[in-house]
Amino acid sequence: MISKQMWKYIFRKLIFLIITYIIATTIVFLLPRIIPGNPLSQMLASLSQVAQANPEAIRAAEKNLMEEFGFGKPWYVQYFEFVSNALRGNLGTSVAYYPRKVLDLIIPVLPWTLLLLLPATIVAWFLGNSLGAWAGFRRNTWIDKGVLTTSLIVSQIPYYWLGMILIYFFGVRLGILPVGGAYTQGNFPSFSWNFFVDVLKHYILPFSSIVISAMGGWAIGMRLMVIYELGNDYVRFSEALGMKDKRIYKYVFRNSMLPQITGLALSLGGALGGALITEIVFNYPGTGFLLFKALTTLDYPLIQGVFVILIASIYLANFIVDFIYALIDPRIRLGQEE
Amino acid sequence: MSNSLMKIEKVKAYYMLKDRYVKAVDNISFEINENEVIGVVGESGCGKSTLSNVLMMNIIKPLALIDGKILFKTNGSYKEISSLSREEVRKDFWGKKMALIPQAAMNALMPTIKIEKYVEHLADAHNIPKDKFLKKAKERFEKVDLDPKWLKRFPFELSGGMKQRAVIAIATLLDPDLLIADEPTSALDVVNQKMFLKILMEMKKQGIVKSIIFVTHDIATIRQIADRMLVMYAGKIMEISPIDKIVEKPLNPYTQGLLNSVLTPEPEIKKRGITTIPGAPPNLIDPPKGCRFHPRCPHAMDICKEKEPELKEVEPGRKVACFLYSEERS
Repeated sequence: MISKQMWKYIFRKLIFLIITYIIATTIVFLLPRIIPGNPLSQMLASLSQVAQANPEAIRAAEKNLMEEFGFGKPWYVQYFEFVSNALRGNLGTSVAYYPRKVLDLIIPVLPWTLLLLLPATIVAWFLGNSLGAWAGFRRNTWIDKGVLTTSLIVSQIPYYWLGMILIYFFGVRLGILPVGGAYTQGNFPSFSWNFFVDVLKHYILPFSSIVISAMGGWAIGMRLMVIYELGNDYVRFSEALGMKDKRIYKYVFRNSMLPQITGLALSLGGALGGALITEIVFNYPGTGFLLFKALTTLDYPLIQGVFVILIASIYLANFIVDFIYALIDPRIRLGQEE
Repeated sequence: MSNSLMKIEKVKAYYMLKDRYVKAVDNISFEINENEVIGVVGESGCGKSTLSNVLMMNIIKPLALIDGKILFKTNGSYKEISSLSREEVRKDFWGKKMALIPQAAMNALMPTIKIEKYVEHLADAHNIPKDKFLKKAKERFEKVDLDPKWLKRFPFELSGGMKQRAVIAIATLLDPDLLIADEPTSALDVVNQKMFLKILMEMKKQGIVKSIIFVTHDIATIRQIADRMLVMYAGKIMEISPIDKIVEKPLNPYTQGLLNSVLTPEPEIKKRGITTIPGAPPNLIDPPKGCRFHPRCPHAMDICKEKEPELKEVEPGRKVACFLYSEERS
């Protein structure tokens, strides 16, 4: 059952999310425009070859394009056009993929990114925390030392380097897994068993590279939290009352998880940056790959579009996590009143 | 059969470090009578918290019980709990026979579940029907002046004093014979302290708990509630005596110094004024030879530097470890 306080909490969170979303999208609008360069230059260059280098025609084309994209207008006019168009579901036209619409470019690749990012982050979080808690409860045993040392080493490995090592070992040396892509070229997406297996094979390496490199950090954090919680007075009191270890471990686990849940919400945002490089290393057709393309060609509308969608999905994930947090920790839910 | 609830005989408990040990409780003997409150006082690091752990057999590395016997009276006979493992004592004694109110009792409740849920878990741990136990918890809450509706709340919704009372109510839910309170009032304001002590005494009066060990460095508090006072210094008992007598005329020079350094409204203490004990407590890894207090003692004699004074009865019910009260002095 959702109490009155809970509704209040959700409402506050929503207002906060909307405000931060507006700020974030504004920054995303402004930042690429600070990068020196003309987004149309590449397009005009290729046009000039087709148009037999007729300066008149090129200048005319540039004028037309400037008109169409509105890059000539003052930035605030551009901004309000961007916002009002975005609210109507129109994220504009891509420069690099002219004349394709930004939304049409993003929608087919977005599921690939989410499919890679969300499960990998959550699995890493889950495995890392379980491992960390396991080590924490057995402080100073060889299990604890083993987990801590491995975690420390693994967490320092850059994920892209790990990705390359995995590709080299499993893809090149052993040849048992594909080296890149989300599915075999020429194999069109369909809901068949064959396609599923094909996708799964391509999925294993990028997925593992994210999970392995992210897991260590979680394990280290959780181990520390558990050790800290074990020293708390409620543990001593429960022990002295004759409570069983199993119950006390449950208490400790529950309380140690709370900061880790906040951490998950943050890392979902952070994983976005990681996905970009992972997708490039694995040639994986996700939003990161698309964003990379957009950034190198200074494709303002596409950069904006990718971010608008990605930030929205990250915020949605954050919101869900906040909701779960409030369910577990009464201090968050009820503390609002005081 | 004597009327003591617990007998502590020549107990030595040391913290074992790599190549040495810290003698936190060194050759201590005393008895806890039924129906009494013993106040344990001493400076920080004198071993009083270790003593409360030893009494419960809460012995975790690096602490080790080196020698001695701890006997606990259950069903009319004495059980030697010092021969049991920590887990065995925990299973059969903790909560049921002896309970603990930890330091900073305000944080002693599991913070993220309702108090009611915690009580249910406790019932579960001791195989008691939940509804019966909850009913008892409600009654106990009323006894400590808390509305039973607070059982349905989370600990953080209660004020500091209320939390403390809830902790007493829960600590005594299983009617333990011995309650060990380890500096429970140090985080409370004076009004709440008073309330806390009143409830503690009420618990004893009603026979819910038989005896109470109250560990503190706050002598004024002990003065209000304890029947006997046990003074510890550097892992040793310096003096154990009925509270009135010890306040009126402390025998051991350390006790004298300790009482002189406290501001209390008692006329007999007021007269003396406040003084401090010069110097600092010794390092327990390598305590001084002879009486451990001799480097700071104003009455130190030659024998104090050589021999350790034994804890001897000098008056009925009064025991002191000091050569000033022994024929052995030379």
